[in-house]
Amino acid sequence: MNFEALQVVLEHVRPTVVFYLGNIPITTSVVNTWIVMAIIIPLAYFIGKRVRTVPRGMQHLVEMLVEFFYGLLEETMGREGRKFLPLVGTLFVFILCLNLSWFIPGMLPPTTDLSTTLGFAIVTIVAVQLIGVKKRGIGGYIKHFFQPNPFLFPLNLLEELVKPVSLSLRLFANMFGEETVVMVLFILIPLFIPTPVMLLGIIMGLIQALVFSLLTVVYISSFIHGH
Amino acid sequence: MEYLSVALAIAVAALGSAFSQGIATKAAMEGISRQPEASGDIRTTLILALAFIEALTLFSFVIAILLWTKI
Repeated sequence: MNFEALQVVLEHVRPTVVFYLGNIPITTSVVNTWIVMAIIIPLAYFIGKRVRTVPRGMQHLVEMLVEFFYGLLEETMGREGRKFLPLVGTLFVFILCLNLSWFIPGMLPPTTDLSTTLGFAIVTIVAVQLIGVKKRGIGGYIKHFFQPNPFLFPLNLLEELVKPVSLSLRLFANMFGEETVVMVLFILIPLFIPTPVMLLGIIMGLIQALVFSLLTVVYISSFIHGH
Repeated sequence: MEYLSVALAIAVAALGSAFSQGIATKAAMEGISRQPEASGDIRTTLILALAFIEALTLFSFVIAILLWTKI
């Protein structure tokens, strides 16, 4: 096995610095995120502008998505779960588009960078904690760390701290692993063999986006219902 | 020797994860075949459970990558 070649693979799947904004290095993953945002935001705006009672074209897809998440949220949290659709739905659509941006030639999906996924995870966890504070009040929020008895406080604290780590590492490692496997296969056998694995990559991207938003729902509902 | 440790780290984790994912999927399939009307509920829970199981493998994957790049 030629380890030099594998080192080259790792160089390919690692983000590189494009330019500096003041002192802050702007990497390819940030630029790619901007590109995906530039595609999604106008699309969402135009779909949202022309909403009809009888859906047509793209509106079918969006309504399907919204109804799926309404079903999910109502199943776990009842009627009040509906107001969390913007958070969960946006996370799903954005992460799905980032994962699938892999199929634009020459583009490295930003989710293969730990910084991107950690950003998502921190936003999600902070939002979940704020929802918890709003729902239970400051006292109730602090009290939930001491349940069922005060001895479990370190464990409860650890649980909250581990959430963003596992959330971000899961998405990062799945996408990074997929990308690395395809790259290695391309080096070994460039013809036809990587295609099924790339097909698996589409399913993987979909499932990972679903898992991320599902976990967000679960975390929110654990604050609304208690453990 | 160092490469062996990298390979073992990912292989052992993948072995355990594969077994447990198989058990989880088997149980879910049995549940669906016994009670087809609950399939949507079971599927959501199954995906969550698989994600949790897979996370452990992915942690060891990250560790393997770290070990490998250090070498």
